[in-house]
Amino acid sequence: MTRRALFLLPALLCLAGCQRETQVEKANREGILIFGNSNEPKGLDPQVVTGVLESNILRALFEGLVSDHPSDDAAIVPGGAQTLEPDATATVWTARLRPNAKWSDGTPVTARDYAFSYERILTPEFGAKYAEMLYFLKGADRFNKGETKDFSTVGVEVIDDLTLRLTLRGPTPYFPQVLKHYTWNPVPRHVVLKHGTMTQKGNPWSKLGKIVSNGPYQLKSWRRNDHLEVERNPHYWGAADVTLNGVRFLPITNSYTEARMFRDGQLHTTYTAPPEIVDLMLKENPKVLRQEPYVGTLFIRCNTTRKPLDDARVRRALSLSFNQQEICDKILRGYKPAYGMTPPMAGYDTPHAVTFNPEEARRLMTEAGFPADAKGKRPDFPRLKYLLASRETAATTAQAIQAMWRKELGIEVEIENKEWTAYLAAMQELDYDLAGSGWIGDFLDPLTFLEMWSDGNGNNLTGWSNPKFEELLKQSHQEADPAKRYAILREAETIMTAEAPVLLTAWYARNYLLDPSVEGWYPLLLDNHPFDSIRLRTK
Amino acid sequence: MSAPVEKGLSPWQDAWHRLSRNKAAMLGLWFLVAIVLVCFIGPLMPFVKSPTVINLDNPGADPCAEHWFGTDQLGRDLFARVLYGGQVSLLVGIVATGVAVLIGLIYGSVSGYLGGKLDDLMMRIVDILFALPFLVLVILFSLVVDKPASEFTEWVIKTTGWSRDKVAPITTLMPLFIAIGSIGWLTIARIVRAQVMTFKHQEFVEAARSLGLGHGRILFRHILPNVIGPVIVYTTLAVPGIMLLESVLSFLGLGVRPPNSSWGILIKEGADRMETNTWLLLFPALFFSSTLLALNFLGDGLRDALDPRSSKD
Repeated sequence: MTRRALFLLPALLCLAGCQRETQVEKANREGILIFGNSNEPKGLDPQVVTGVLESNILRALFEGLVSDHPSDDAAIVPGGAQTLEPDATATVWTARLRPNAKWSDGTPVTARDYAFSYERILTPEFGAKYAEMLYFLKGADRFNKGETKDFSTVGVEVIDDLTLRLTLRGPTPYFPQVLKHYTWNPVPRHVVLKHGTMTQKGNPWSKLGKIVSNGPYQLKSWRRNDHLEVERNPHYWGAADVTLNGVRFLPITNSYTEARMFRDGQLHTTYTAPPEIVDLMLKENPKVLRQEPYVGTLFIRCNTTRKPLDDARVRRALSLSFNQQEICDKILRGYKPAYGMTPPMAGYDTPHAVTFNPEEARRLMTEAGFPADAKGKRPDFPRLKYLLASRETAATTAQAIQAMWRKELGIEVEIENKEWTAYLAAMQELDYDLAGSGWIGDFLDPLTFLEMWSDGNGNNLTGWSNPKFEELLKQSHQEADPAKRYAILREAETIMTAEAPVLLTAWYARNYLLDPSVEGWYPLLLDNHPFDSIRLRTK
Repeated sequence: MSAPVEKGLSPWQDAWHRLSRNKAAMLGLWFLVAIVLVCFIGPLMPFVKSPTVINLDNPGADPCAEHWFGTDQLGRDLFARVLYGGQVSLLVGIVATGVAVLIGLIYGSVSGYLGGKLDDLMMRIVDILFALPFLVLVILFSLVVDKPASEFTEWVIKTTGWSRDKVAPITTLMPLFIAIGSIGWLTIARIVRAQVMTFKHQEFVEAARSLGLGHGRILFRHILPNVIGPVIVYTTLAVPGIMLLESVLSFLGLGVRPPNSSWGILIKEGADRMETNTWLLLFPALFFSSTLLALNFLGDGLRDALDPRSSKD
């Protein structure tokens, strides 16, 4: 008896001692940020992935020509390029690379790596979903659409090992903003070619143990559905200024579980905070709750190739008959009603397209050939299916909209949950009626919210197109004067939102939790926080 | 004067006799009957509210005179949702398990009784089905079955003339029954096969065979009643798992569609919000777990009652 008790005593003491230090406190000592990242990344190849959660990891691993600023979305921080100079019309940009920039295996980063990467993402056989991001380059769309096989027609020119010249489709003074996006990151030519060919789909170069990166961090470990961790890249040119030792990304799908882990001291920051948690934290611990504007739009895609959604009047009726204000106030917390496609952005005045107007909606429905019967139901209107990716808050919003349509229009829609991959497949094959979706801006310009609706764009997925809209977008690419350019984009947006290929729901807000020990983390519209300048306070 | 002929009791009467003297099992039985009545008759009562009407001005309310169990995150009446959700959960529990047990019983007993090469082949098929990842299969299945299921719904509405609100919640569950039924029978088939193999060379079977009975009669009349015990125990243990599986599958798009609900879904939603609104978890979980407890008591009692070897008095 006594012996067993003696044996137990140190074990108990250790248990008590271990419990006193939370994961976050331990990580603070080690200088590692624990980051809730919502899901398992689909991969780490910057030219393949498309999601926000992958971009968080890529931001730690890779560095483009310019980098993100910790507190100012508009600021340009030199990254892989020491200088980036436009010509007089802002059409030809010359980048001088850092001579001391190196891949994490010690090989220098050269202009050839950049050119190789741009050729890779634009080659049609590679099938990159985000290739449109590089259409800023002269001739990129023709090459990507297979109209020419000659990459020298694209405006990418290697002058020497450290000089890269990019010729654009038109004057683009805001080009450095675009360059921050991860699709413009270089990939290590020597490593990609070692493990396969340039355009090989599923080339294994970006797997654990093979991947080589040029950013402040390199991949340390990756256990599927458990964690992904990055550590300092010793060959990074600015390694001496990197304050954070590493980042651990946790794929926690359920946002309520995530909030629970945060409150247990297992996370520095959560990916999101669901409405109930926002309310709870406001009461319990308001200083860890962050509510910040975020450039993103929540909307419902309409399949405009199907009846009755091919009729713009029907789409507009659907759009006008649910109360955005009520959804924002009572379900989404902090989100703003979206009266246009582009969320508020400095200098751009988003045209007012949508308000809550059930009277007008009912009129449009009747006009489109779906009159109401005595009970206010519309018996001729088919039962539409409303597709959702299986996520918690999406289902709540969808059920509210479903009930509002029943009440205001007398129509029934059927909510259909699908697992993420099945959901994407259904959208790509236009095998849906309505689909709950969202879009987060890639850079700070209305173009990122408008260009996706052009004909044949990989993110359109509605079957909608309009020649006048295309024409205006083309015109905007040639306009150098920012004010005139915004006026053209505004006209384009007016055309698009009037035809309502998507039903605007809300403009995003970022609700999340952040541990007070994290310093150097500021509100950002694009939410691209550079990790290397973050500090963790130990006590 | 002839003495009245003493009538022998049939095995089922005998079993009922034994069961009715088991207090726990009878409690379980009556509780289950009560739950079924409450869930299926209850919603007809005028005081039960609609489970789908949203009131965004009153979300997450505590239990009160108007909302007995409070309201959920969209202001819907939780009491009504628990009752309607119970219909789905009970239906899934009974039908899907029934399908699985029926297939498993026949497959396992044939395989075990006939033996030899056929037995090998049938069991290897079971092994292969076991090896396939269930959730991946279900996702693929949901892609395929989507259209036929909605066509089936339309067909039922057209031929019967019933209202869609009554038909759709049941017919959209068909893919779910098929999915669960087609996987759930594997374990039962193995249990039944093992049982049949232990019985098929025992004396009473030899006796039946020497009387010249056919295979079918021997198998279903003499062997299967002995196998029923373990199968019932396994079934009562499988029902909870199947009811929970339903909520997972519904989340992946196969089964119940919002705004309709089931206990599994209500519990999942409630668990997410348990810090802020405990009722949302408490009430559905109370209904769910007490039903499962009752099932277990009943299953336990049935095993004792149906065991032909237990002493007759």
